[in-house]
Amino acid sequence: MDPTQAPGVYEGAANVIAAVMLLIEFGLLRQALVRDQVRLYMAQSALISVLAIVIAADRNLPDLYVLAALSAALKVVAVPLVMRRLLSRTDPGDGDEAPGVAGSQTLSPASAVLAGIVLAAIGFFCFGALKIHGPAAPALALALAAAMVLVAFGLMIVRRDVTSQAIGFFTLENAISLAALVVASGLPLILETAFLFDLLVAVVVFTLLIRVHHTRSESLSTADLTRLRG
Amino acid sequence: MSAALPVPVIQLLQVLTVALGAPGLTGVIAKVEARLQGRRGPRVLQPYYDLAKLFRKEALAPEGASWFFLAAPLVAVTAYLTIPLLIPVLTTFGLPLGYMGDILGGGFLLSLASFVIATAALETGSPYAQLGSSRAKTFSAITEPVVLFVVFTVALLTGTDLPYALAATVRSSAGQIIRPAHLLAATALFMVILHETGRIPVETHTGTNEFGMIEEARSFEHSGPFLAMVKWGSELKQLILYTILADVFLAPWGLASTQKLGAVILAIAALLAKACAVGCVVAVIDNSFAKLRLFKITEYVSAAFLIAVLGVFTLYLGGG
Repeated sequence: MDPTQAPGVYEGAANVIAAVMLLIEFGLLRQALVRDQVRLYMAQSALISVLAIVIAADRNLPDLYVLAALSAALKVVAVPLVMRRLLSRTDPGDGDEAPGVAGSQTLSPASAVLAGIVLAAIGFFCFGALKIHGPAAPALALALAAAMVLVAFGLMIVRRDVTSQAIGFFTLENAISLAALVVASGLPLILETAFLFDLLVAVVVFTLLIRVHHTRSESLSTADLTRLRG
Repeated sequence: MSAALPVPVIQLLQVLTVALGAPGLTGVIAKVEARLQGRRGPRVLQPYYDLAKLFRKEALAPEGASWFFLAAPLVAVTAYLTIPLLIPVLTTFGLPLGYMGDILGGGFLLSLASFVIATAALETGSPYAQLGSSRAKTFSAITEPVVLFVVFTVALLTGTDLPYALAATVRSSAGQIIRPAHLLAATALFMVILHETGRIPVETHTGTNEFGMIEEARSFEHSGPFLAMVKWGSELKQLILYTILADVFLAPWGLASTQKLGAVILAIAALLAKACAVGCVVAVIDNSFAKLRLFKITEYVSAAFLIAVLGVFTLYLGGG
């Protein structure tokens, strides 16, 4: 496509929302405070509901309004609430570990962002080469979703603490919902809702994992898991 | 009001608007910032009084400084006053001298000005001035890639690298505004402008602690009319950068499309209003964030770089 041609307001808006979601994913990569990570996750989830509303309005798909409301209730309200309760319980308060700081310990934030750019580029150009054109799919938003998936993986790899990894996984789910929204927005509501409830399973599993890990090692870091135990 | 102005007069008016409006803009920002902090703040016209006072004072140069030290402020102000000829300040149509340089031409002039000021600061032998100029050059080297990617985005969007062409593209349809490439490039440019004009989160504008200074420290050894020109130069740079942001990227409306006197006067008012609006946003940012530590500035720049690179990426897939 000729880049000097504007893609139109609807596609532009969908693409901008997808781009901001990707930027938030990068924000998660830089953000060191777990509480702010939860806040960023809320913002990203709110954006995906907004995108669902935009698509619903443009493509005349009333189902998507319901999906947007459900997704907002789950991802903007419920999941962050669970994460916050979990954090306040596992917060050492007076311990030697700094509360709520989730450094990477492997990469500095600036290099993590540069590595993220490389990952995003791979996702971008691989999906660009696939040339998938759905009826409601701005090709760009799909490629942005692919880039988000890879950056979310990157987040889970460079971070050493369980909460960041959990949030990385939840944003991975956001990326996949984004891809599903742009490629198959006409999917039956029941299927979309089923995908949403997949997230609930992940939340339950991660909650359990975090609590078990915290009671065993009294820290949220996975650094001491690398030691071999007989 | 319908008398048509000759083109050279409009061209001169572009330079005059920037030259005379720049100190006022600084005054407005200082006032807004003070009001946000609950202070009464200086008069809006205070920067004009400051310049007038400095122009009347005696000029001194440190021992051992050569003619270059005194020539640098003149060169810088000349460079800054040339840029308004190249960018759309008042008109939508290109003026005859508007095509003698593209965006890169304007960039070269900005770099030339900051280079001569930094070199003059090195000439003085004053440690703080040297510290400031070395920091300014280091950080401008790392913001350069961001600027380049913004220019790439403009080039891909319009097929040219003329500021007039981008402004016309943005005006042409709403689809051109709500597209990620344009918004991302504008955001990256805004972050670079915060950096270049020495605003928070990179540098405090009103601080007196030399160790945190970057741009501010470079003028320590200048005095009298030369200090006035350095100060005026940085005010000019601020208004020029705001003009590029407002008239080329964010809101290229309100420019005169004819040579009529009324349209040109309206365009002058619109430009100053837009610059003040950008200034208010900057003042709010100044009041809501803390200054970054010097070694954290790379993180700020890497964020701007990320945004600019994403802008180019989105264009390569089409539909960006």
